[in-house]
Amino acid sequence: MYEYVMAPEQDVVISSRVRLSRNYEDLPFSPKLTRECAEEVIERTTDAVFHTENGAAFTFLRMGDLEEDARSRLVEHHLISYDLLKFVTRSAAMISSAGTVTVMLNEEDHIRFQGLLPGLQLERSAEMALKLDEAVGQKYAFAFDPQWGFLSASPANTGTGLRASVILHLPALSSAGQMGAVMQTIAKLGVTVRGLYGDGSEARGNLYQLSNQATLGRSEEDVIRALTAAASQVVEHERSMREQAEKKDMLQLQDSLMRSWGELMYARLMNVGEFMKRYSDIRYAASMGYLHAPLPGLDALMMDAQPGSLGVRAGKLMSPRESEILRAQYLRDELKKLVAE
Amino acid sequence: MMCEDCGVRPAKFHLTTIINGDRVERNLCPACMAKHQKQLPGIDFSNLAGLLSSILEGRNAAEQEQRETEYEDLVCEQCGMTYAEFQKGGMLGCANCYQAFRQPLTALMQRVHGNTQHAGRIPGGVHSGVSIRMNIERLKQKLQRAIAEEEYEQAAKLRDAIRALNIQLERREGDIKVHPQARLTGDDGEEASADV
Repeated sequence: MYEYVMAPEQDVVISSRVRLSRNYEDLPFSPKLTRECAEEVIERTTDAVFHTENGAAFTFLRMGDLEEDARSRLVEHHLISYDLLKFVTRSAAMISSAGTVTVMLNEEDHIRFQGLLPGLQLERSAEMALKLDEAVGQKYAFAFDPQWGFLSASPANTGTGLRASVILHLPALSSAGQMGAVMQTIAKLGVTVRGLYGDGSEARGNLYQLSNQATLGRSEEDVIRALTAAASQVVEHERSMREQAEKKDMLQLQDSLMRSWGELMYARLMNVGEFMKRYSDIRYAASMGYLHAPLPGLDALMMDAQPGSLGVRAGKLMSPRESEILRAQYLRDELKKLVAE
Repeated sequence: MMCEDCGVRPAKFHLTTIINGDRVERNLCPACMAKHQKQLPGIDFSNLAGLLSSILEGRNAAEQEQRETEYEDLVCEQCGMTYAEFQKGGMLGCANCYQAFRQPLTALMQRVHGNTQHAGRIPGGVHSGVSIRMNIERLKQKLQRAIAEEEYEQAAKLRDAIRALNIQLERREGDIKVHPQARLTGDDGEEASADV
């Protein structure tokens, strides 16, 4: 029997993440950060985090010590930011055993606390990040200004230093050609929308990321509430588009979605681009009840089938063709375990 | 074990749903599990009106940009970063840069965030007095409207709410002692942050 937890709004929302930027007040920021000071950041933060109540749950990793695939795997599972890898010689991360809390060190700011949960759970994600921030801040002072709040290397993050984001799966809105209109409406609420993978209008897997634009002038609670409301609005819109598509021609919808299931079950070569299209279809099908597969399982599989994660699984450097073969085989095996038709 | 929903098919999934913070656990067969996964529309939009009022104000970017060239020669004494350097790389060198470049940064903050005043937490995890103040302002406006519309019952409620917030604010201001210069030089600041 599979054990899994259905998170709130998981039919549309994949995950909720909150990041907090913090800098120690007496150490130079990123552009002027020396090797010694970067080490000081690591020493202070690990000391403070390991001594918190749940400190023992954290694993400390220096990015420079990891193979490239292992680093990519962390990015693909949203455990660290892509930007952390821009500073590989000095950056590190502390990752909780459940993967829900991460502390990134020596990225653009000295510290980025992160809370990450499945479904729409921004409030709880924020709580987790803020709790750790408080514990570290009590031990070592953070750069803070009464007018401008927590000071970041980039003024774009100064204030609360809080960047909240949700990843949404929007296949029905996308295929109805409504994403442009949604983006315009949402932008008016102080929320940015972009494709999660790929740039510009192309959004692989119909995955979109919503995040708050501003960090100065609104409280943490306000920002979380506003983003949650904006996301809920999009969720509602997506659900009604799914309903409409089903009402219009259910058989046609089922046919087009379930064909992707066939491809995944029998393909012998699968590149990431194609996989993301198929994944979007079967996730859509599962959310409509056409396919009896648990959504959390599908989402975990989606991350595991990304290049870095697949490389870690293989335990060796693969050619593009080898990687396509392994992906196709891995998906066949895992999907069979996940479904029960 | 049989499915707790239909009681006909064997249970294959253990489903935990979180509804308003409560965990509901069930053992389900694949078909019933699929039904549960398909959630129906029905969400409360009561917060949306408040959201719309927070739309960012328009700003005159080109004009601001021009004025910024005046500040190119500013230097931060602590880390040596110049304002021109910051304009190129987009990142500041240390906490003191925010003091050294305060004037041009104020304009920049207004442009980027549509705001120049922090309204969130302060170190130590407590809520700053700023957002309480903003709440008081909002309630005062509502109060005036209520009086104008002769909604006296509503006005009385608002008056009490404002009073409660004022007490909260006074208590906070007694506690908060943070000042930027004081913090950087290591002195004990005396000024309350909410006064800035």
